[in-house]
Amino acid sequence: MRKSLLTILSLLMIASMVLAACGGGAPETDAPADSGSGSGGSSDSGGSASTGGEKQVLKVWSFTNEILTMAVAFEGQNPDVDVQFTMIPMDAGEYQTKIKAAIGTADVPDVVALEAAFVKEWVEADFLADLGDLLPLAEELQTYPSVVEVGTHEGVTKAYSYQATPGAFFYRRSIATECLGTDDPAEVQALVNDIESFLEVAETIKQCNPNYFTVGTSGELFNPFLANRAQPWIVDGALVIDPQVEAYIDFAKLMRDNGYESQANQWSEGWFAGMNDSLVGADGQPKKVFSYFLPTWGLPYVLIPNSGDTGGDWAMINGPLAYQWGGTWVGAMADSKNLDLAKQFVAFVALNEENLTNWATGVYTNEYLKAIDPTIADGQSQAAGDFVSSQVVVEKITSSFDGSPLYEWLGGQNNYEAFSLAAPNVNGALLTGSDDAIQRALQSARDQYLNGEIDKATMWKQWLDVVRSEFPDLVIPEPPQ
Amino acid sequence: MINNYKFNTSLIRFFVYIVLIFLLILIVVPIWILLVNATRSTVEIQQGLSLLPSTHLVDNYNVLQNRGLNMVRGFTNSFYLAAVSTLVTVYFSMLTAYGIVVYNFKGRQTFSNFILVLVMIPTQLTIIGFFQYMSRLGLTDNYAALILPLIANAGGVFFSKQYFESMLIQDLIDAARIDGASELKIFHSIMLPLAVPGAVTLGIFAFVGSWNNFFTPFILITSVEKYTLPMLVRSLRGDVYRTEYGAIYLGLAMTVVPVIIMYAIFSRYIVSGIAMGAVKE
Amino acid sequence: MKFTKINRNYYGYFFIAPFIIAFLIFGLYPLYNTLSLSLTDYTLMTRKGEYIGLQNFTVLFADQLFLKALGNTWLIWLLNFIPQIGVALLLSAWFTNNRLKIKGVGIWRAIFYLPNLLIPVVIAALFNSFFSFYGPINQFLVRVGYQVEAVHYLQNVEITRAVVIFIQWWMWFGQTIIIVMAGMTSIPVHLYEAAMVDGASAAQMFRRITLPLLKPILIFIFVTSLVGGMQMFDIPYLLTDGRGAPSNSIMTNNILMYMKFASSRGHIGAASAVAVLTFIMTTICALGIFFVLRDKDDTVSSKPKRSWFTKKSETK
Repeated sequence: MRKSLLTILSLLMIASMVLAACGGGAPETDAPADSGSGSGGSSDSGGSASTGGEKQVLKVWSFTNEILTMAVAFEGQNPDVDVQFTMIPMDAGEYQTKIKAAIGTADVPDVVALEAAFVKEWVEADFLADLGDLLPLAEELQTYPSVVEVGTHEGVTKAYSYQATPGAFFYRRSIATECLGTDDPAEVQALVNDIESFLEVAETIKQCNPNYFTVGTSGELFNPFLANRAQPWIVDGALVIDPQVEAYIDFAKLMRDNGYESQANQWSEGWFAGMNDSLVGADGQPKKVFSYFLPTWGLPYVLIPNSGDTGGDWAMINGPLAYQWGGTWVGAMADSKNLDLAKQFVAFVALNEENLTNWATGVYTNEYLKAIDPTIADGQSQAAGDFVSSQVVVEKITSSFDGSPLYEWLGGQNNYEAFSLAAPNVNGALLTGSDDAIQRALQSARDQYLNGEIDKATMWKQWLDVVRSEFPDLVIPEPPQ
Repeated sequence: MINNYKFNTSLIRFFVYIVLIFLLILIVVPIWILLVNATRSTVEIQQGLSLLPSTHLVDNYNVLQNRGLNMVRGFTNSFYLAAVSTLVTVYFSMLTAYGIVVYNFKGRQTFSNFILVLVMIPTQLTIIGFFQYMSRLGLTDNYAALILPLIANAGGVFFSKQYFESMLIQDLIDAARIDGASELKIFHSIMLPLAVPGAVTLGIFAFVGSWNNFFTPFILITSVEKYTLPMLVRSLRGDVYRTEYGAIYLGLAMTVVPVIIMYAIFSRYIVSGIAMGAVKE
Repeated sequence: MKFTKINRNYYGYFFIAPFIIAFLIFGLYPLYNTLSLSLTDYTLMTRKGEYIGLQNFTVLFADQLFLKALGNTWLIWLLNFIPQIGVALLLSAWFTNNRLKIKGVGIWRAIFYLPNLLIPVVIAALFNSFFSFYGPINQFLVRVGYQVEAVHYLQNVEITRAVVIFIQWWMWFGQTIIIVMAGMTSIPVHLYEAAMVDGASAAQMFRRITLPLLKPILIFIFVTSLVGGMQMFDIPYLLTDGRGAPSNSIMTNNILMYMKFASSRGHIGAASAVAVLTFIMTTICALGIFFVLRDKDDTVSSKPKRSWFTKKSETK
């Protein structure tokens, strides 16, 4: 008895000793322990002293794995660079918190990816390096002005994006034919040209088949409505509740109360299931979703990968509201120890014609990446179709999408052409650094209201309480009636 | 009269078993569903609840691998961290407790009371100050920041003190002293081996505590290579483009199965361990 | 001889030195640091802070969310603690009852303790998917006809709180059973035998013998559970959106602290203020309850087999 206990304890001890020893001795990148025991102060001095024949290390952080693809491509072009890529999910704002927490420490990344919801927060603060000297590249590539505008604060440009993100309305051709009598994009666009007629279509579809929902969730229209505001959330230190915000809430309530939406939250399993007809109601009835509001990136990243065998049954139009949604900007941290390399990386990701062309046209397959770095996961690759920020590249590659698998998937439409018409209208001036927190708080209160848990007045109050808690200095207006 | 009494007892006993089985179901069913769903495809899971396993275990595993989330590394990290935490906690708790129990130094009583007070203090709440301090020292994103504080683990000392007090050790110590052993040597070569059952129990707690800890690493650790299993599970859920329900369940199940197996082996020590002395959660 | 003995006792300092040093560096200083940060406007985005007096605290007391978080934390803790201790007392009484002779006590206890070993992150993820709109609980209840249609369970304040409370109970009642049972088995059997001779009923024996003798253990469970409960984070953070949804109903002190820390400026000063207030409140309650109840207990004084909290000076 006593013996077996001893054995167990000593096994445990030996195991951890071995692990500890591995960590201390072998400088293998994957060993969990090397960071635990040896990093901290010693590594920076050692690193800079002995860079002679070693690879230059560039630390890149992002909230998805997209940029990893470009990081590998970058390594392919610069064999002397080792890009250390870190993905931190942005659920509940954890990604942003991690960057903030790393500032001023040895862990600070060199390059960070910044999502539209919080890019302004960083552009407005002092931690990003001035990337003004990359502006000539942007001019050369004719980067959409709104993309540069978002990355600029008080005349200083600190971040660039490889994407432009005008939004679109994707619908199922079969359901359109069945319920609306046509699947022709122009005719369907005429039917859903504004919010009022969109609601009429929603009613038609419900009458047509009670197991059809017009949208997955009215939450998809949050961004379209916000994009049509007259003012950003914060003007002169005061919160602005634009009439579009109120209009959105009323719209969402109508969608919920009339059963036009599947009620599956965005990014939840049910929402994805609607894309491939595998959505099943709690009653066991199969359900179908007519349409999804998604921007450029939604097509290759979200819709197509989840569409199952519904390919060819989709079409894309502008929908009731013009909007843009999301987008990833990249910036270099000001206290990066490799600022030049970081700039080089940003330029490669967002302002390099070859890279943007490869990115958009599906050159970065898994095989391509594996040839550079064999340790890349099997799922890592970039499918064709993401809409890039350079008008030069867009013009060059638009026609290449005719007849492509993407073209077939959309039942014979060129998505690039449609997006290139919408992209110049995107307005970058509505983004502010506080959007993310304000909008997340509103969404939480909204869900309560839509579900009938609280009334509208309570919803406004609850939202404003949270905003006040988050921004104690902000002037908060009276809630809408 | 006696028959009646017996009848009553068996009636109560019947009732007790009903309650126990009800509690058993409450515990087992969620875990069982988790394990079953790990073997079902996303579509199957969306179709409805099932208590029977399906055939998609391998598919789910492949999906999980393709997502680039390295569960094996998460495991290694968590295991490494938990093992070192365990050693540090056990050794230093025993050392401190031994000092209190064996030596009648001035202030011993105060120190001993102080430990008891520390057990009742919400230490996790100092995390913000701790974080800012560690970031000044450049120790964020470093396991040392998670391990070194365990040298002063009040719960562990409290437990070890109970344990040493229940062993009659003074004679042994005196005998060893006559043999000329040094104080530290007495502790290392006589007392520690004798205290192995207590050490195992304390060690299991320290291990489980570290293994399950989410909050502290969540605040302190940034790089994904150092992510512990709970943080990785969190990423599993937080991935934006997630679609694969089955793979998520598999990821969750992968964290649960080893614990259940370990528990099946160690449960005797764990249960008797809690009985020996309550350790702070 | 006496001299060497005194000398030897100095070794005690040597043995407790690592603890004291580590405590000063990793326990006391962070506490002091938290306290001093709470008096500044330090943020992650500025990396510096000015002394601003008690301003963080005045802002906090005006903050609806803080009062709400405080109330939530107490409510969730109390409502999971009461059934936890109740079930533990009941099951321990059954398990230790000589007449009932329940079979497999060890196995039952081991199973009931199992949830405590699972990673809370996993448990929260699991229950989140159980209760989702298209999740198994909706499916089940609609198909058996109990519900007409699917319900957003985790949008309902009461249900979401109940789920958190249930999970906390689920995770911790097994441990409480084991501790309570350890206390019960240490009560000398002869006390019960004597009571039975006097014709006491089972209920009377439980109230007059078991409960008073269990008191030290119950106080200990009570205090440690309180301390843990006031720091509750994992389950409520991970079950919904990490911000206490719905309607901030499961926002706890620690979630609010983390929210301040993770807010758009990373307001460490405000986060520290939450921590300081929670810390003071919890410490006062825990130590207060412990010392008040324990001293009373000493006057009743019986002798449980192992005294958990007797000070050395008192046993002399």
